[in-house]
This record gives sequence, C-alpha cells and structure tokens, in this order.
Amino acid sequence: MNFPAVADLQRWSAEVARDPASPAFVPLARAFRRQGRREAALRLCLRGLEHNPAHIEAHLLLALLYLDSGDRQRACDEWGMVLHLEPESFEAHRGMGFYYLERGELPRAREHLERAGTVRPGEPAVREALNYVRERTAGPDGPTPAPGRGGPPARRSDGAAAGPAPAAVAAAPSPPVSQSRSPAAAPSAVASPEPPPVQVSRDPQRLFEGLLADPPFIGAMIIDRQGLVLAGTTRAGSGIEALGAVLAAAIDEAERTARHLQLGNWRSILLEAAEAVVHMSPLTEDLALLMAVRREAPTGWVLRSAARAQGLARAFLGDEA
Amino acid sequence: MSNELFVQVLQRLSRVPGVRGAMIVDIVAGVPVVAEVAEGVQPAPVAALAASLFQRTARAAEGVAFGKLDTVQLEADAGHVVVADAGETAVVAVAERGAQLGLIRLEVHRAAEALR
Repeated sequence: MNFPAVADLQRWSAEVARDPASPAFVPLARAFRRQGRREAALRLCLRGLEHNPAHIEAHLLLALLYLDSGDRQRACDEWGMVLHLEPESFEAHRGMGFYYLERGELPRAREHLERAGTVRPGEPAVREALNYVRERTAGPDGPTPAPGRGGPPARRSDGAAAGPAPAAVAAAPSPPVSQSRSPAAAPSAVASPEPPPVQVSRDPQRLFEGLLADPPFIGAMIIDRQGLVLAGTTRAGSGIEALGAVLAAAIDEAERTARHLQLGNWRSILLEAAEAVVHMSPLTEDLALLMAVRREAPTGWVLRSAARAQGLARAFLGDEA
Repeated sequence: MSNELFVQVLQRLSRVPGVRGAMIVDIVAGVPVVAEVAEGVQPAPVAALAASLFQRTARAAEGVAFGKLDTVQLEADAGHVVVADAGETAVVAVAERGAQLGLIRLEVHRAAEALR
C-alpha cells in the first residue's frame, strides 16, 4: 500500500478547507486512516458525507473506519447504504458477508459472499470464506457438490436465514483440512460415500488415469527428491511435469520449517494459485505424491482426490517393491 | 500503512484459538515486519523459512501457468503453517494441530487483503 505524496495531502487539505463539499475529503480521509489518524479520518468522512450523501467511496471508507474501531454494526449500516446506491458493490457485499459470517448467520453470509464472488471471482478471502460457509450451510441450498457432479449451489432469493440459528463461526466444526488424519482417511467436505475402488494400473503413465474422469483433476505424479517422475498421469497439455523438479526442493524447505517449529514430520503441502491447487504429500522417505487440480475444486474435494491418488500410488509402489 | 494497522491485523489473527504465532513477513528479504508469537517461536527463522517456501512455490506455480500463488499451507504432525500473499509482504500463521484451520485460513486471507 503506497502513501500519498505530501503534495497531494496538502492539495486535498487545501481543497477541503476552501470547499467543504469538495470530494477531496475522501482521499484525505483515506490517507489519515493509513497514518493511523482514525479519529481525524472519521470526522472528515462524516463531515464530507453531509455534503455528498451519495458518495459511495466515502461510505465504504466510513465502514472501514467503523470496522477499525470494532463497531461492526455501524460498518454494516454503511455497507447497506452502499448496496442501496450500488447493488453490485463488491466491497459492500464482501463486508456484509464477513459481518454475517462473524455473527454465525451463514445463509445470509453466503448470499453476500456469493454476490461478491460473482463480481470478483478471483478474490482469495472471499473464495476462502465461501468455501467455509458452503461446507457448513445446510438446508435448501445444501453443501457445494463435488465438481463435475452437479452445478453450483442455488442462491437463496429471500436472503433470510433458514431453519434453526446456525452455530457461531468460532464454534463451527473444523474444516476438513484441519483434521489430523492419515492421508488415506482424509475427509471430504462433501457428505458422500467412499468412492468405488479404482483398479491400479501397472503402467506408470496410466496410474492415475481413473482420476481424469473428474474435470478439475489436472494430473498426479510420483516424484523423488530430485524431482524425477517415477509415475504419473497428466491431462494433455497441462505441462505440469515440470513442477516436480521445482517442487521437490520445496519439500526440503517444508521439512526445515516443520523441524524448526518442532512440528514433527511434514504431512502435506497445499499450494493455491490463481488457476490451480497443488497438493503434495509424502509416500516414503524418498518419494512424494504431487497432484494438481483446477482452482474451483473445493478444498474437501482436493483432499479426497489426494487420498485416492495416495492409495493408487501406494498400491503401485507396493506392487513394484 | 502505519505500524498500528500492521499490529491490529496481527492481533486479530493471533486471537484465533490455536494460533501460536502470527507475523507479517517481507517476502523478498525474508524478515519479519511485525510478529506476535508465543514463547518458543522465533520470528526471524520462521519468517526466513516461510518466505523461502513461498517464493520457491510461487515461481513453480507461475512457471507452469497456474498463475499467481496466493496461499501455501504446510501440514505437519504437530501443527500447520499458513502463508498468504499480501503484495510485497506475506501473512504467516503458525497453528497447533487441533486448531480450527478453516477459521485461521479465513483470518489469514483477511489480514492479507487488508495489507494489499
């Protein structure tokens, strides 16, 4: 985040002093906030809004200022005002989404977060929050279906909470990624029966072929510590074969980090990039499994697929031994 | 961004149950900018390791056209380390095994977003 130049601050101050209705109060108040002068920013914003009551940026800034001081209700009021002025405001939907999430009102949180996610699909915080909410939202919408096995969850039209009041976020059960289970028992965010057993191919290039049926699956490989590929199946043109060489070194980094923090042995590394998620897990002391899936796959589905790939890899290595 | 806001962001993250340490790390230099850690967690080496892990994996992701890396999550026998991109910095959380990882990830991303 960049600080404005001193000359800008002076210019905005002069404009606001000369004309209290000048929209320069917004960048000036924002600069005050960045400097930690929250009270001054708040006063400036409130005074500016008296002259510019429909200034969306000012309402959004005021919401942040209220949020900074812990006044979530007032922040929510400001976001509500913004939505009245601009129904598809990303910032307002995101703010409302987190507000309801903190209150444990998951259906309403989901509604706002989904609208924020529609406006800006790539925002990590919104995406993360949506995954969190979807995995816990029961009722008419149900949980998010596994990719490739159904469409996205329908959005509620009334925006009201359905059924009994949901538990507060802090009391909600841990998501799948937080469980301390062995990879073979990795849980799924989707309440579905265990997948049917997949026949293990003896052909190293076809080992994970069964997983290709799921559209988000990009590929999986067994790599050694030098990044050499022992077996692997990847979607044509994905180019992920090159990942092994680079990420094998990341395993060393992960081991060092875990050792330094006295966390024991590493169990998995999850990389989330704009277009894909990569999951790595140890198979033996010298071998690791690397799996890549498209980003839209829910975390629970990623872990479930990783568990399937682990099973295949272990069976393959058992056969090889 | 003022130091006060850095601290505020970290305090919120470190209040999540199970978080043993939270820090904002200069991703290029690999040094902590601000840290709130429990006894026994040394910010400097954790920052260096987390930054190194993030940089290496970010290069790998971009190298295969997976786009910009936003999160790296390390799971180990006794805990988790979550690193999220925040522009020139990264937000790092060290959590115990039984911590509510979903909540921690959420707060890490919110912190990262506030810093961008």
